[in-house]
Amino acid sequence: MSESLLEIELSGESLYLLPQKAVYRPSLKQLILSDVHLGKGTHFRKQGLPLPHSSHLKDIDTLHFLFDKWEPMTVLILGDLFHSDYNKEWLWFKSLLLQYPYIQFILIEGNHDILEDEHYALKNLFKTERLEDEHFIFSHHPTNENQKINFCGHIHPGVRIEGTAKQSEKLPCFYFCKQQFILPAFGYLTGLQILKPEAGARCFLVAGVTVVELKKY
Amino acid sequence: MDIPAKWFKQKKWKAFPFQKKTWQAMSENKSGLLNSPTGSGKTYALWFGVLHNYYKKFKRPPKQKQLHCLWITPLRALSKEILLATQQVSKDLELDYTIALRTGDTSVTERAKQRKKSPNALITTPESIHILLASKEYDKFFSGLEFIIVDEWHELMGSKRGVQIELALSRLKALNPELKIWGISATIGNLEEAKDILLGKKGSESSIIKADLDKQISIETIYPDVIEKFSWVGHLGIQLLPKIIPIVEASNSTLIFVNVRSQAEIWYQKLLEAAPHLAGRIAVHHGSLSENIRKWVEDNLHEGNLKAVVCTSSLDLGVDFRSVDTVIQVGSSKGIARFIQRAGRSGHYPGALSRSYFVPTNSLEIIEGSALKAAIADHLVEQRIPYVRSFDVLVQYLVTLAVSNGFPAEEIFKEVKGTHCFESITQEEFTWCLQFITNGGTSLKAYSDYHKVVVENGIYKVTNKSIAMRHRLSIGTIVSDSMMSVKFMGGKKIGVVEEWFISQLKPGDSFWFGGKNLEVVSVKDMEVRVRSSKKKTGKAPAFLGGRLPLSSQLSQSIRLQLNDFKNNDIHYEELRQLAPLLDLQQKVSHLPGKDELLIEQFKTRDGYHTFVYPFEGRFVHEGMAAILAYRIGLLEPFTFSIGMNDYGFELLSDKPLNMEMVIDNNLFSPEFLYDDALKSMNAIEMAKRRFRDIATIAGLVFTGYPGKQKKTRHLQASAQLFFKVFEDYDKDNLLFRQAYDETLDFQLEITRMQTAFKRISVQKIIITNPNKPTPFSFPILVDTLRERFSNEDFQTRIDKILNLVI
Repeated sequence: MSESLLEIELSGESLYLLPQKAVYRPSLKQLILSDVHLGKGTHFRKQGLPLPHSSHLKDIDTLHFLFDKWEPMTVLILGDLFHSDYNKEWLWFKSLLLQYPYIQFILIEGNHDILEDEHYALKNLFKTERLEDEHFIFSHHPTNENQKINFCGHIHPGVRIEGTAKQSEKLPCFYFCKQQFILPAFGYLTGLQILKPEAGARCFLVAGVTVVELKKY
Repeated sequence: MDIPAKWFKQKKWKAFPFQKKTWQAMSENKSGLLNSPTGSGKTYALWFGVLHNYYKKFKRPPKQKQLHCLWITPLRALSKEILLATQQVSKDLELDYTIALRTGDTSVTERAKQRKKSPNALITTPESIHILLASKEYDKFFSGLEFIIVDEWHELMGSKRGVQIELALSRLKALNPELKIWGISATIGNLEEAKDILLGKKGSESSIIKADLDKQISIETIYPDVIEKFSWVGHLGIQLLPKIIPIVEASNSTLIFVNVRSQAEIWYQKLLEAAPHLAGRIAVHHGSLSENIRKWVEDNLHEGNLKAVVCTSSLDLGVDFRSVDTVIQVGSSKGIARFIQRAGRSGHYPGALSRSYFVPTNSLEIIEGSALKAAIADHLVEQRIPYVRSFDVLVQYLVTLAVSNGFPAEEIFKEVKGTHCFESITQEEFTWCLQFITNGGTSLKAYSDYHKVVVENGIYKVTNKSIAMRHRLSIGTIVSDSMMSVKFMGGKKIGVVEEWFISQLKPGDSFWFGGKNLEVVSVKDMEVRVRSSKKKTGKAPAFLGGRLPLSSQLSQSIRLQLNDFKNNDIHYEELRQLAPLLDLQQKVSHLPGKDELLIEQFKTRDGYHTFVYPFEGRFVHEGMAAILAYRIGLLEPFTFSIGMNDYGFELLSDKPLNMEMVIDNNLFSPEFLYDDALKSMNAIEMAKRRFRDIATIAGLVFTGYPGKQKKTRHLQASAQLFFKVFEDYDKDNLLFRQAYDETLDFQLEITRMQTAFKRISVQKIIITNPNKPTPFSFPILVDTLRERFSNEDFQTRIDKILNLVI
C-alpha cells in the first residue's frame, strides 16, 4: 500500500492526518505535532542508560521530510519538544530552525519543556503556554474549556485493535472525544498509552504508512 | 571429645554415616556436594564440619572476630531456619561462635553493626552477597572467610541467581584461594554437572556425598464422584475442596500447595467458607505477603498450632515443620522433582513416611497422578539446566565491583572466564561489556556524554554518587512487575501487590489478600492503604506466573500412561477413573498411542482450528507451533494465532489449513530446526519478552523498590523501547543477542524440541475431523493467553485487521 493521509473536517476546517503522526492544516499552511521528546537519548546516556547515539536523528529526518513536503508557514508543537535538562541534542533543533528561517515555530509549553529561557531565545521560535485561534484552542495537557475544540498532546494515545484468529496489534492514534483532539506522540523514543475508546469518540489510527479511522470498537 | 560427638551425645542422637563422611571430608579441607533430601539432617552434616574447622584453628578465641562462614540459601524462610538451628548448637555447647542473618529484610542499622563487628557466620542470599561486594573494602570483610555453603544449590542453579553465585565465588576464591565450597542439593538428573559448576574445574579434590536415605512417599489422587461432571478446563481445583476437609481434619498439620498466589488466596477463602470451624487454625502463605505475616504463619506451623496452610512455592524448600504430616498438591506439579520436594514437606524427619495427595483441577489432569506414581517408581527425575553467557548478570556484576573498590580488567576477566557460565566468553565479548559500562557500547562511536563507569589508572570505577546509589538498589536477578506496598491505615504492612492489579481498583473496592478481605482506602506513591472489609466478595489479585511448562520426564510418563490405557495395560487407579473421558476422546476423535501423533481439525466461529498433541510441555509447544507456522508460511501466506497447554498446541487461522500439504512437505522434520526457530522467533517476539528481564538486570530499566520508588526525573523508559532502538541501531549488542539465545534455550527449550521433532518424524500421524471440541482440544481452545505468528508483513497484517474494524 502506498503512503496516504486521511482528510477530516473539524469546526469547518479541513485537516490532513499524516502517517508521520502530525496534522497539516492547509487553510493556514500550518503543521501541528506534539511530544517530540528530543534529547531523550542523550539524557538517558548521561544517567548511564545507553540508548544508541544516533536514534534521535530519526525525528530530525522526519521533520525535514515534512517541512520539505508541506512547506508550512507555521509549525505548532504542542509541548514536550525537549525531554529534560539541556543537552547537545538541542543544537540539532537549533540548526533545523536555522535551515527553515521562513517557518514560524510555536512551542506550547509541556511539562517536559524545562530548558532555561535563553535556549528558547531563537529568532523564529515563539514559546507560550496556550494558543487560541478562530477555531481551536491549543495546549499541552488536555483542557476542559469546551467552547472550541482543544488540540493537545501529553497522553501519547494508542489503541489495540483485534482481528480474526485472536490477532491483535497496538497502534498510535489521533484521539477525538468531547471537544478534545489528542495527537499521537511524534517522537521515535516514545511509548504508547493504550486507551479504550469511549462511546462517541473518534479514533484515527496511524497504521504503518496510512491513517485510517477506527469504525468498530 | 570432638564437637559433633559431644553434641550428638548430649541430644542422645546417632549421627548418620553421611554426616560423619561429610565432617571427615571437611576436616581434610575438601570441597564437595552433599546430595541429600530435606529433613535428613543435612544442616548438621555441614555445620559441624564448619565448627570443627574453626575450633581446630582457634584453640583460644581470636582478638577480633572475622567472617568465617557464609551460608547461602535461596529463601528467607530457610535462612531463619538455619539461623535458629545453628544458634541452638552454639548455645547447647556454650560456644562463642556467633551467627547472624543478612537478607533483604535486614535493617540498615543491623547491617552497619555486622560490618563493624563481624559475626563468625552470615546466613544470606545470593543478592545480599552482591550487595556486600558493592560496599567499600569488601575484601577486608571477606579476608578471613574459610567456608561457603550453598544450600538448595539445585534450586539456584537453574536460575540467574546461580550465575550470581558463580560470579561471587570467582571473586571470593580469588581473595582467598583456600576457600572451601560446599553445596547441598536434592537429587537431580545432572548431579555431577551441578557439582562441577559450583566448585569449578578443581573437581578432582572434591566429592559427592550421598545421604542414601530412602524416603517413602505415598501418593493418593482425589477423584470427583462423577468424572463426566468434572470440568474439562478448571484450573483452581475448588470443585474437589469438600473432599479435602476430612483429610485436613484427620491430619495433624496439612500443607496445601497451589501453583499461584491468587489461587492460594481463593483456596484459603473457600476453605474457610466450607469449614468455618477451622477459623483461626488455617492460614495462607505466599511470597507477596509481608515478612511478619509469613513469620507468624511459619512460627505457628512450627509450634503445631495450625491445622492447614495454603501455600505456594514459598514453602517449597528446606523449612522443617515437624508437625506437618500431610501434603496436598492442587493442580499439576509440572515436574517429578517438584512433587517429591513438596511431598517431602510432610514427615520431615529421617525415616518418616511422606503422605501426599494430588488434587486434579480438571479431568484430563487426573492422568498426572498416575504419571507421577509411575515416574517415581522408575526413579525418573528432571535435570536442572544452568544459564550460560548471561551478559546481563555480568554487566551488573562489573558495575557492582566498580561501585565498591573498582577493578582492574585483566584480573577480573580471568576470574570470570573461570566460571561455568562464562567459560566460552571471548576477550572481545568481555571488552564489549567493559565498553558497554564505560561508554555505552561499541557499535557506534563512543558516547562522550555517557559516564556510568570511568577508568582511572586502569581501574574501572563508578564516581557518580547517584549512579552508585541506583545500582545498589537494583542488584538482583529476580525481575517482577512494579509492586505496591499494601498497608493498613495505621501503617502496618501486609505485603506487596502488582501495580497493575491495584490500578484496576477504586477506593471502596475490596480484594482478598493474606486471607483477609481488604477495602481500598487510598492509593498514593506506590502505597495502598486499606482497612478490613466485612464484605463477602472481593477480587483476588490475579498474579501472573505459575505458567511453568510440564517437565520432559513427566510429559514422557503421561504419554506412556495413555499408551498403557490404549493397550489395556492399566497399573494405576487414575486410568480406571479416567476411562469415560479417554473413551470419549477415542470415540469422537482418537486416543494416540506412543507411536502416534494426533492432529485434530475443525471450524468454529473463531476460524479454522488445527490441534496437535505432542505432550511436550507448553514451552516446547509454543516453539513447535511457531516453527510449523513459519514453515507453512514458506509455502503459502498465513496468519496464525497460537494457543497451547502442556499437552498440545493449536494453530488458529482465518482460512483452512491443508494438513496433507504439511505432511507431504515434511514440515515436522527435525532438520534446520535451529535456523527455522530463529527465523520464526523474530515474528512472535518472544525475545522481546525475554529482553524485559535482561534490560532490568543489566540496569537499563530502573524499577526501584516497592513503596520507595526513587524519584528519577525523566528516566522512565520501557525495555520495549530499548529493544526497538537496539534492533534499529545496535544489532550486535550482546544483551540484545542474549534475548535470542535465552529464548532458544529456555523459552523454546531447543534441545528438548529437537528430541520431540525427531520422535514425531518416526511417529504415525493420525488426523481426525471431530465435529465439536474434544476432551483434548477444549482446554486449549478456551485459553485466552495467546501468541501471534505471522509471516505476512506488518502492513498486510494490520490491513487485514483494519478491514474488520474500519
